[in-house]
Amino acid sequence: MKGFLIKAVLQIIPVMFLITLIVFILVHVTGDPVTLMLSETATDEDRRVLTAALGLDQPLFVQYFKYMFNLLQGDFGTSFRYNTAALPIVLERLPATFELAAASMLVATLISIPLGILSATKRNSVLDVFITGFSVLGKAMPSFWLGIMLILFFSVYLGLFPVSGRGTFAQLVLPSITLGAAIAAEMTRLIRSSMLEILSQDYIRTARSKGLWETIVVYKHAFRNSLIPVVTIMALQTSTLIGGTLITEAIFSWPGMGQLVIQAVNARDMAIVQAAVFIIALFVIVSNLLADLVYRLLDPRIKI
Amino acid sequence: MRKLVSVSMVLVVALTLVLAGCSSKPSSPAASSSSTDTKGTAQSSANAGGSKHLTIAIPYDVQGFDIHNHNNTPTEAVHVNLFSYLVKKNEKQVIEPDLAVSWESIDDTTWRFVLRQGVKFHNGDPFTSADVKYTLERVSKDDKLLEYGNYKQIKEVKIVDEYTVDIITDGPQPALLNRLSRLGSGMLPSKYLEEQGWEKFQSNPIGTGPYKFKQWIRDDRLELVRNPDYVGDAPNWDEVTFRVIPEDATRVAELLTGGVDIAVNVPAIDMDRIESNEGTHAAATPTQRVIQLNVRTKEGTVTADPRVREAIDLAIDKQAIVDSIYMGAATPTRTRVTPGNFGAKADLFGTSLYDPERAKQLLKEAGYEKGLKLTFNASGDSSKDKETAELITAMLAEVGIEAKLELLENSAYQEKFRGRTFDELVLIPFGNSMFDAALAFSRISTQGAKGETDYSNAEVDRLLAAAETNMNAKEREQQYFKVQDIIAQERPFIYLFQENANFGISDRVEFSPRLDEMLYADQVTLK
Repeated sequence: MKGFLIKAVLQIIPVMFLITLIVFILVHVTGDPVTLMLSETATDEDRRVLTAALGLDQPLFVQYFKYMFNLLQGDFGTSFRYNTAALPIVLERLPATFELAAASMLVATLISIPLGILSATKRNSVLDVFITGFSVLGKAMPSFWLGIMLILFFSVYLGLFPVSGRGTFAQLVLPSITLGAAIAAEMTRLIRSSMLEILSQDYIRTARSKGLWETIVVYKHAFRNSLIPVVTIMALQTSTLIGGTLITEAIFSWPGMGQLVIQAVNARDMAIVQAAVFIIALFVIVSNLLADLVYRLLDPRIKI
Repeated sequence: MRKLVSVSMVLVVALTLVLAGCSSKPSSPAASSSSTDTKGTAQSSANAGGSKHLTIAIPYDVQGFDIHNHNNTPTEAVHVNLFSYLVKKNEKQVIEPDLAVSWESIDDTTWRFVLRQGVKFHNGDPFTSADVKYTLERVSKDDKLLEYGNYKQIKEVKIVDEYTVDIITDGPQPALLNRLSRLGSGMLPSKYLEEQGWEKFQSNPIGTGPYKFKQWIRDDRLELVRNPDYVGDAPNWDEVTFRVIPEDATRVAELLTGGVDIAVNVPAIDMDRIESNEGTHAAATPTQRVIQLNVRTKEGTVTADPRVREAIDLAIDKQAIVDSIYMGAATPTRTRVTPGNFGAKADLFGTSLYDPERAKQLLKEAGYEKGLKLTFNASGDSSKDKETAELITAMLAEVGIEAKLELLENSAYQEKFRGRTFDELVLIPFGNSMFDAALAFSRISTQGAKGETDYSNAEVDRLLAAAETNMNAKEREQQYFKVQDIIAQERPFIYLFQENANFGISDRVEFSPRLDEMLYADQVTLK
């Protein structure tokens, strides 16, 4: 166990190194922030001065070494757009992002587990057809459409929830349903097929023939063993949610990671893009690591 | 082993919840009360606990608080509540005293300003000549600041006494008052900045305006509170919140449910809905934005022939574009110097030429009976620009001009614009925050047009150079009139129309949008 953890943490270092290199190159070759920063009346001289001031006139590898040198000391550079250090700007988005991600996963789990189990145990019944139908629908609905429909119905028409923003519990409801719905759809289908596979296994037949209650067979023996693929999907979805869900955040004006990144990309705000990708990448790696740990918890046969 | 894993899982979940929990801010009245509110009655942001609270929904967040290091009008629209200028424009765009009570031009290059006494910054520091010197010399000397180009004409600010300053310019500056009543002219607290530095100022900006900074959550909200020591009329509101809502549909929904009092920049298509909804109304104002075509006049291009440029102008039915794409929320124009700007020529505004038959005739005379080809660029990110460009392409095809339309992603478009690498025709929207003809023609002198329209006219050059430094307003206006007539005749720019800005407003408040799109909270009143 200890060995596994040490190995996993050591693996993070080269991966993160590669990510900083790739992002640095992508950000620096795809656009010139100077042209976007200057005003329409700027002269060539103004342009040259600003380029030099930002250090963008130096060769790319020099810029990269400077960037890495500062990075290793915890300095992610300065945001052109906000004129302050980039890392705090990224970190201050994390609570909002975590909050929405956690609520969405909760919504997804609460919907998908009962529906998935029901639809597997009542296979081919009317209920199963309905649940499967709903999950196809849930996956097919684009989030911007669902988000706007929820606003129109629950906020504008019924007046039940606030339209947008962040701060109260009520403001969290609609965006987490919007995001949770698509994930729930995917998880429901996955739990259903995974359950069906497990339910046809020999040990389930053994359990039933022992005369165990069906509830115990389903929940204790089948459900738990069907969770492994589900955990993988949950880990992947969580890292997607941490990375920011652009469209949903924009619709509900949720001040999370997605909005920050898209605006930074548009403004060619290199330091913010680099710092944000760094943090997101770290979360993707960590959540995958956690998924590995959970496998071992669920299935003791998987050895560390 | 399994215990260890369970414990670590529990820790992660707990941490997430704690993070999410601590971050929950106490609800603002505007946000929380809309849930109990029924649609249409825009009451919710009113008077929680008897305090007067105004909430305005804006599409873009402010770009920080370094007033000299951005060139973003929506940011300035919010900043005007925190910072004051020496002179400001009133609702009619007439210049009035603000922090300066009087001013005079002593000689061609010296302006003397007498400052208001008893003005205090939000931290209690008195406002004096030293602050004027600090503010204006910072932006006129530091060429790394984005507003440097609009202030470098100021050579020096001389302190005469505590409440008198002389602003020395590098040459005659007839438009100096216009320069000093816009973005970048907000007076800064020199003592506070010298002691605390810009880093601190960015997180706690200090000005002399009617509202004080309370807190800023990026991409979410900026909260201001009333400044009890404000030197002018007592502020209207106890609290003013600017909420950032990028999505148009959401901004409109917030207005309809009473979550906000004013929604800035609503789509033309929603105006009827806002107007017919009980509790809200719509308002529109002309803006400084003019949509125009830049036409290459360089030898060797098809558009070097003035008859071709005239044909392009005559082929485009501007009113049809205004009606179909802008839902009427724009005004055709033949000049960029629109009403409200110094030098505006009235007979060129509110009018356009459209005569496809004559356009065909002109093309024939120019030797293009069989039609001609050219390249046409526009930004593909703005749906209005894109649709306008597509409609123009179709109109040009009607008279036999085959325009190859290339829509560019915005940053690629900007790079091409600033690198001056466009082809024959480009659709471009221009603003004018200086409210002076000088800015409208900065790119049409032989020097300024190089690589863009490549237009060169000795008469225009002479008139512009004379007007730039002419301290006689009457004469200067005549010079700009002449330039506008020449441009309308020779068409290196083909002006299409002036765009309106649309606002949705709660019936709870009264607000008339301004031509310069500034959002003065004190010009919003409770009914």
